[in-house]
Amino acid sequence: MARINVLNPQRQTAAPKRLGRKRWGGAAPYLFIFPWIFGFLVFTLGPLLFSLVISFFDWPIVGQVTFVGFDNYVEMFSDDPLFWKSLMITLKFAALFVPLNIIVALGLAMLLNQKVKGSAFFRTAFYLPSVISGVALAMIWSWVYSGDYGILNYFLSVFGIEGPDWLNDTKWSLVAMVIASLWGQGSMMLIFLAGLKGIPKDLYESASIDGAGKIRQFFNVTVPMITPTLLFNLITSIIAAFQQLTLALLLTGGGPLKSTFFYAMYMYENAFKYFKMGYSAANAWFMFLIVLTLTFLVFKSSEAWVFYEGEMKKAKPKHVKRRAAGREGH
Amino acid sequence: MVIVSVMALTASMLAGCGGGGTGTAQEPDNGSQAGVTTLRFATWDTGDALKIEQDIAKKFEESHPGTKVQVEAYADGFDQKLAAGFGAANPPDVMYMWDFPTYHQSLEPLDDYASKDKDLNIDDFYQGLFNYGKIGDKLYGIPAGFTTRVVYYNKKLFDEAGIAYPNDGWTWTDFQDIAKRLTDPSKKQYGFGVRAENDTYDLQGLVWSNGGSFISEDGTTIEGYMNSKETAEAIQMLGDMLKNGTAVLAGGKGQQSGEDIFKAGKIAMWESGIWPLESFREAGIDVGTVEMPAFPGKPVKGVLAESALSIAKDSKHKDLAWEFIKFYVSDEAIKMRVADLPVRASVVNELKKDQDPLYKPYYTMLERSDNTPAFLLNPKWNEVNRQLSAAVESVMFGSDAQEALNQAVKDSERYLK
Repeated sequence: MARINVLNPQRQTAAPKRLGRKRWGGAAPYLFIFPWIFGFLVFTLGPLLFSLVISFFDWPIVGQVTFVGFDNYVEMFSDDPLFWKSLMITLKFAALFVPLNIIVALGLAMLLNQKVKGSAFFRTAFYLPSVISGVALAMIWSWVYSGDYGILNYFLSVFGIEGPDWLNDTKWSLVAMVIASLWGQGSMMLIFLAGLKGIPKDLYESASIDGAGKIRQFFNVTVPMITPTLLFNLITSIIAAFQQLTLALLLTGGGPLKSTFFYAMYMYENAFKYFKMGYSAANAWFMFLIVLTLTFLVFKSSEAWVFYEGEMKKAKPKHVKRRAAGREGH
Repeated sequence: MVIVSVMALTASMLAGCGGGGTGTAQEPDNGSQAGVTTLRFATWDTGDALKIEQDIAKKFEESHPGTKVQVEAYADGFDQKLAAGFGAANPPDVMYMWDFPTYHQSLEPLDDYASKDKDLNIDDFYQGLFNYGKIGDKLYGIPAGFTTRVVYYNKKLFDEAGIAYPNDGWTWTDFQDIAKRLTDPSKKQYGFGVRAENDTYDLQGLVWSNGGSFISEDGTTIEGYMNSKETAEAIQMLGDMLKNGTAVLAGGKGQQSGEDIFKAGKIAMWESGIWPLESFREAGIDVGTVEMPAFPGKPVKGVLAESALSIAKDSKHKDLAWEFIKFYVSDEAIKMRVADLPVRASVVNELKKDQDPLYKPYYTMLERSDNTPAFLLNPKWNEVNRQLSAAVESVMFGSDAQEALNQAVKDSERYLK
């Protein structure tokens, strides 16, 4: 009952003044968020829809604009080998990046969730790369990866391994991109950490009483409890993987031999190197469709594997009882 | 002369405005606040070259009171910023320009200015330079600077190995032989450096020298040109030198540039335009220059890299812009720009540049640069070049040139339909 009141505080009390409120009070909230609404309409939604429009045009920056219907989309699929190539590279990158990103972020969050001295320091340290701008990160990584003078190859040489020339070797360039991309997982780690902190301790206590070891506890308590967080992070990772551009642009320029020529970069080059705005907009909308489809599929599948505590409401009394039992045990 | 006197009049009016501060009646039509006209000048240069250009702009301001030249250094983002400027109908008034096929629609034709204004002394220019700024019959750019490409060599390394300095008329066979003798893997020293990412424009001299080309002379066909035996051979030669270890790959991501390796004395020979000459001397390298080698039995051909100045069609200060261009290519300004070769024969003669053994090869190469580069022959060249660049890069990474070029031709055909 309390919940209803929270959601609709004015339901009962505001009824007599309804007319006046509707005229002015109803608009007030919108006035307060107007700056945001304005920004959203003019700088986000407007350009978004505009890009859909120009995707049906041959739209050079300098020269004649002509309507071409679906030609841009047709050309993309039937006539442009670079389109397929860059798409494959992005898929490959996503296949490597998404699982690794989740494993690393979750791993770090688990480490930070330990009650050890200095965990606040490590939390800051692990998050720090997310605060640094992507451009600065790319510069740092270009030094790290340098074949002759890079610290990474120096580190490997200590162990007697001769490292490759990361950014100039087609076999390693994509791996190098994945590693560098993983550096930016700080915010994901924090979200996982929040998820982990939200798991009631008594679940672990009862699990250990039932004789479950650490690994069992992880798979049977931790993982199910953080599946909503996992879902969120999975979707944002997929989107991030498809949008990866900064690193490719600055670290490898898409090379060597187009081995890191991501779809986003293909799009970027079409727009800002070859000035084919319409074609590039068509590229962008196709990417939107891919990401939309993938997100939809993940959401669909989530019904099977995501566990919301709210769904357990019916079992709540039992839960409370168990908690009481636990207290008695102490 | 008419223009000049009008300019002088405007200038004095502006000066009057600035001094009195009350000149409401004589407000010039194009003037902004305080009667100062701002002329926007866009350049792609950075560093020392930019500094020189700013000095030239200051000199121009001194002789044209009431004028402010705003030097806009677009650097690597030159094309993006310029295109955005044109797209928004707010371009710089004067700009550096080389890609006339792409931009000519947005540029002011300069034939009238050039033919009417005797002060320009157009006959003093190297005439071949005007070909690069023409589309159809119209002239869109006044040559401001140019360079041809030569081979730089490190005299000290040659002396140590007891090898005679190369001379004009040498061949690629000589070149490869010397490169081999000057390679010493134990010292990480190589005979030659090859760029990881070549500008295909620069490779045209090499390709033409072997009797090949990227595109037919009428600009319609690449099949049998871009992938001809001669073209492939020329590109393959660079790939082979990398493979047999007499050349080192330079300027890849996270790698040192060829210029830096040359300055460090780790490559004996380097091929480039005039740009790095000054920095080689500053680095204390005893550097020599020689014309490009020939393929045995074939004439050496060179490629010209030219920068010109253009006026935007949308500019509101075209006359002032023209004055600026004229000043920019005057003897005085040309002498200030040491990173370019002078475009005026009179300046060359005065400075005796063509007598200087270090500069002579550039002028020898100029005489050999009479082929038309591919980008002037086909308006879709930028698209084709995307495929060609990928092919050339793959050769540097070990692919077979003939196969790579065949593929590039196949992938490019759709642009030439």
